[in-house]
Order: sequence, then C-alpha cells, then structure tokens
Amino acid sequence: MTPHTADLRLAPAPRRASTKGRWTGLMFILPCLIFVASFFMVPLAMTAWMSLNNWPLLGKPSFIGLRNYADLAADSTFWSSLWFTTKYTLLVTPAIFLVAFSMALLVQSKRKLVGLFRTLFFLPVVIGLGAASLLWIWLLNDQVGVFSAVLMRLGIVKEAVQWLGEPNTALASIIVMVVWKVSGFTMLLFLVGMQSITEDLYEAAKMDGAGWWASLWYITLPLLRRTFALALTISVIGSYLAFDQFFIMTRGGPQNSTITVVYWIYRAAFTYFKLGYASALSMVLLVILVVINLIQQFLLREPATRQVQTSYTGKEGVS
Amino acid sequence: MKRMTLAGLSIGLGLLSAGLYAHAQSAPSVTFWVRSADQGFVEPLVKAYNAKGGTQVKLTVIPQDDFVTKFATAVAGGAAPDIVAVDLVFLPAFAKSGEMTDLSALYKSLPYAKSLSPSHMRLATFENKVYGVPFSAESSVLIYNKDLFKKAGLDPNSPPKTWAQLETYAKKIRALGGDTYGYYFSGACAGCNIFTFAPLIWASGGDVLNAQGSAATLNTPQVKAALSLYKRLWDAGTIPAGSKTDSGTNFFSAFATGKIGMAGSGAFSIGTLKKDYPKLNFGVAPLPGQNGNSSSFAGGDVIGIPAGSKNVSAAQDFIKWALSPEVQVQQFAKNGSIPVRSDLASNQYSKLDPRYVTVSNLMTKGRTPYSFQYSELINDANGPWLGMIQDAVFGSGGVDAAVKKAQDRFTQILNSN
Repeated sequence: MTPHTADLRLAPAPRRASTKGRWTGLMFILPCLIFVASFFMVPLAMTAWMSLNNWPLLGKPSFIGLRNYADLAADSTFWSSLWFTTKYTLLVTPAIFLVAFSMALLVQSKRKLVGLFRTLFFLPVVIGLGAASLLWIWLLNDQVGVFSAVLMRLGIVKEAVQWLGEPNTALASIIVMVVWKVSGFTMLLFLVGMQSITEDLYEAAKMDGAGWWASLWYITLPLLRRTFALALTISVIGSYLAFDQFFIMTRGGPQNSTITVVYWIYRAAFTYFKLGYASALSMVLLVILVVINLIQQFLLREPATRQVQTSYTGKEGVS
Repeated sequence: MKRMTLAGLSIGLGLLSAGLYAHAQSAPSVTFWVRSADQGFVEPLVKAYNAKGGTQVKLTVIPQDDFVTKFATAVAGGAAPDIVAVDLVFLPAFAKSGEMTDLSALYKSLPYAKSLSPSHMRLATFENKVYGVPFSAESSVLIYNKDLFKKAGLDPNSPPKTWAQLETYAKKIRALGGDTYGYYFSGACAGCNIFTFAPLIWASGGDVLNAQGSAATLNTPQVKAALSLYKRLWDAGTIPAGSKTDSGTNFFSAFATGKIGMAGSGAFSIGTLKKDYPKLNFGVAPLPGQNGNSSSFAGGDVIGIPAGSKNVSAAQDFIKWALSPEVQVQQFAKNGSIPVRSDLASNQYSKLDPRYVTVSNLMTKGRTPYSFQYSELINDANGPWLGMIQDAVFGSGGVDAAVKKAQDRFTQILNSN
C-alpha cells in the first residue's frame, strides 16, 4: 500500500458502543463535567442573573429586568471600546502569525543550536503578562528606557520619544510587546503541526521538482489548516479579552484612547461598583465571542471537494 | 515497621501544630487593614500596641489602588476586618451604604473631640452620626528647591504667593538649562491632582463641587484660569515631558532628583526628603491662589469599625489609643507625620522643624471635597476630573471645551444615582 495523501484525511468511523461501555465512558468524563459545571456553567448562570439586577458592590441588589442592557446600548464608551478591541485584534493577529510561522520554519529542522533558539523564542511566553507589561513600561521609558536611547544614539530621533504618550505609538508599543510575548506559543503550535507531516511527502515533492516555496505552499500550509484554525481561535479570543497590558501600561490612556472591552467591564465593576451592569457587559461580550468563533469555524472548515473516504478495511478511493 | 514510625511521626507533628495553633488563637485578636501608603508609620504602631500584651492586632497592608475594591468586596462577602483605616474621601460612600459601625458614642466620650481635624470629622459624619475618627493627617503643600532658586537669582526664602510669581519663577529656573525644569505635576494621576491642583482653584475662590456635593462647579472662571496656568507652564516647556504619562510613580521622586524647581506635594515628603535626600535644600510653602491667599487639601485616613465586626470594644480600645499623645506625638510627630489633633500640633518635635507647623496649620484650614461618588468623579484614572486636566493642558481643543466636557460628565454621573 503506497502512502497517499488520502491517509491523512481519515474521517472517524461510526462506532456502536455497548451500554456498559457508555457508562464507563461517562464515569471517565464525570470529573471533567463536574469541573466545567462548577467553574463555568454555574458562574455563567450567576452572571446572567446578576445582569438582570442593579447590583452595587456596596449595598443591596434589586431586580430591574433588562434595563442594564438598555443602558449598555446607549453607552458610547462601550461601543468605542469594542471597536478599539476589534482594531487591536485585526492588527495584532497577523503580526503574531507572521512572526510565529517564520520562527517555526526557522527551528523545525534538526540543525545545531536549533534547540537553543527554540527555547529563546519560547522564553517570553513563560513570563506572566503582568510582569512583561511592567518590564516594557521601563524599556519604553523616555529617561531610562532602551528604545529611546538606541534611537537617539543612531541619530534617528533628536529627543526621547514618549512611546506611551501618544495614542498611536502607545497602541504600537503594546502590539510589539504582545507579539514578543505571545509568538513563542503560537510557534510551538505550528511546530507540532509541522512535525506531524511526514518527511516522505516532501521527498516525493522534491522528486517531482518542487522548490522550497512550492513545498511550503502546496504541502505545509494546507496540512496545517487545523493547527492554523486552533491557533487563530486561541489568538482571537485572547486578543478580545486583552486587559492586563492595557491596565498596566497605559491605564486606558493617553486620554482614554486605549480602553479595551474587558478594561471597561473592570471599570464598571470595580470603579463604579456596578456589578449588575458589568455582568450585562460580560454577557454581551460572550455572545460576540461565540459569534466570532462560529464565523471562524465556518471559514476554516475542511473544504468538501478534497474530502476522501477511507474505510477501516483498508480499501482506498478518491472521490 | 518503617511505615508505622512514619505514620506515628506525622500524626504526632499534626497534633503538635494543632496544639500550638490553638494556643496562639487563644489570645484575643482583632484584624486591622490599612492601605500601602500607610505601611511606614502603621507597622511600628501595631508592634508597640501588641508589645503591651492584651488584645493582639493583626495588620494587613493592602495595595493602595486595590484598597476600596478589596474592602468593599470583603464587607459584601461578610469577611470585613475589625478595624479599617480608609482614605477619608471614601467615608461618605461607605457610611451611606451602611458599611461602617456608628461611633457617635465613642466620639462624644473623647475630651479632645473638638480639636480633632475638622475635615476628617466632616467627611466621617453622615446624617448627624459619626462613622469614623481621624487616624493620620496629610495636607498638600508647595515644595521648592532652595538651591535652584538661588541659582536662578530668586530669594530662597521667598516662595511664590501668586500665580504670576509661580510662572515667572518657573521660567527663570527652566532658563538654567539642561534637564532642570521649573515645575512638575503628575499628568496622568487623578488623585495627585485633586491633592495639589484643586487647592490652586480653592485659593482663588473657586471649587470643583458645591458644598453638598450635588452639583459640579467646573464651568467657572477660577477653574479655567487654573487650567490655563498649567497649560502656559506646559507650553513654555517649564515642565518635563514625562509628566504627561506619569500616573503617580514619579509624584515624589521627580522633585527628589533635585532638578525640579517647584512641585505640589504632601506633608509626607518632608520626612522622606530629610531622611533619604539630606543634601536637598528644600522649603515648604502654602499652595498659592491667583492673587494671593492659599489653600490645601486636608487629607489622610479615617479609622473606623466595619459593620458586622464581632470585636467592637477591642477595636474601640485600639482606636482610642491611636488618638492618644503616645501615638500622635511620640510615634507620628516624631517620625515626620502631623497629629490629627490640633491641641497636639505644637509639640516637642514640631518645634525642631518649623516646616511641620506650617503644614499642621494648613491642615486645619484645609478643604476636602465631600461626595458619595468620589471614585467615579475624581479618583478614576479614566474619569472626568483627570480627563479635563489632560484635555486642557496636553490637548489641542482648548480649556473651554475641556471644562464643558467635564462639567457635562460630572452632571451625568451625579444625576445617575
């Protein structure tokens, strides 16, 4: 039997489980179910309930129906924070993917020192986001920071740049910090995906005369589709939930230009003490994230024309 | 055999530690929460109280920015401490929502009740009941670098008394060149500016809120003039560029570098400058109004007992002790803080350094805004108070537009509750 691209497209065969098998299976996933129920479903239900109340941090809650949602529709800062978060996601995601994919290509071969570079690329991931934000505040500082000093020495700027002082440079600085911090993790996802592609495919392609770019375009990228979808889902959700870096580095400034959705929710809950309103904001954010995720799944689904059927009897066929 | 020994050892250790723990718990104890800014002077205080034997005080220091959130969450969750020292500006909101125990009886029993800081007592009183007493005092002042004054040809014993003088002096000091600047303020710190910028407005006859705290009074000539003063100082380059993004980190350290001519600061800086920067020759003056007059933000902490505490009498005992001369003079005044009792303002330590007497007097005459929505209106880093200052001073839309926007937002917030 010759290896065939079809082999990698195995669709799961339907299986008839026995009743005993079913119960055993249920027992195995019960701990996980309990975990998800108590740490996700229950708080979700509580948040949904709180969103229907006026729930001040100091004082007694009172039921007000859908008024929080009506207020939220009229809250211009919420909508502009949503727009800002979307803008941030649209900028940071391609940047992360480009950098992470390049790094993965660099370290996938088994050359000398590759292990060292793999570690170096991954190192920023293990620092907490809070610590990284604090670190970058000082790197970006105009008096003691590295970046301004380097630019001045090179003669590119005459005086120190206030990176976090203007809306555009503040956003750019935060994006650079996030790309530096997070790319290592996405690189790891790509590496795992790449390493599951058999070498034989590349050899076969080389025999057919494919160059480096053709291998990349026709073999690597298509076979990384699932990895890509996973990485994209994680990255987009993470970007929409961005909070730490904006809270620590700019506090939503300069002049309220870098307020993300979660930052606004935090403010509603812990500066304005309106837990009910913050819950309503959270529910809306949840719905938005689910919708985005569904769109992503749809766009990145397996294309129907390249689906193949392989049964467990070993017969192969391409349709 | 080995397994039995191990089991026996661990059971034994367990019983021993349980016994020790139970013994430690048998001495009565109260829990006391303070904010991180107070750590320096509260830790020796608590040590001294615990050394006397009797009720033990367990101190927890909470990071400044999280204090209100943590405290409110703890009270909501039924886990509030027995004693709490809170920034006085938050008392109206806490008292209104029933978070604090009524201390009117304790207050009336104090023989020196009338000499307790008036600003603290005003903010701790709600509907004629007292919910806290003063604990620590802080008032805002203008600190200035006497050496830079001399270098710029100014009289080091003659700090500015009007805004015109402030501007002239700032420009003269900036003219010394290099990285020497005439003035400093933390441009991204809401609390720093109600502390040091609002007194400029008060000293000129204006205010941020009306007396009841029910309406904003920002759209007034005094506020606009004060903002224009800061804008002129900024545009003339007398303030370092880093001020724009300083969220309070450099509130004290900027002046401590010795490169700033004048800055608003608090009484706390006197002690710290003397101890850590002895070579810095500095003076202390009241924050000036437009045409003379002066004012100050009377701040500090109020100490009270959260509602639901089970150790009320032990807590009251500690509070009474905190107001005694043993603490206010021998601890606070000795270490560079000011007493909260005007009958103790002139003491053996204040006599050693007249700068303290200046500050004590300022506190008695100082003002504090009274508002149930202090967090949203004034302390919020993204709120309208700081927004107004940033728009007016650093923005390009002009002072009038900034003031109008803030006035509208203040009104919106005040009417929403």
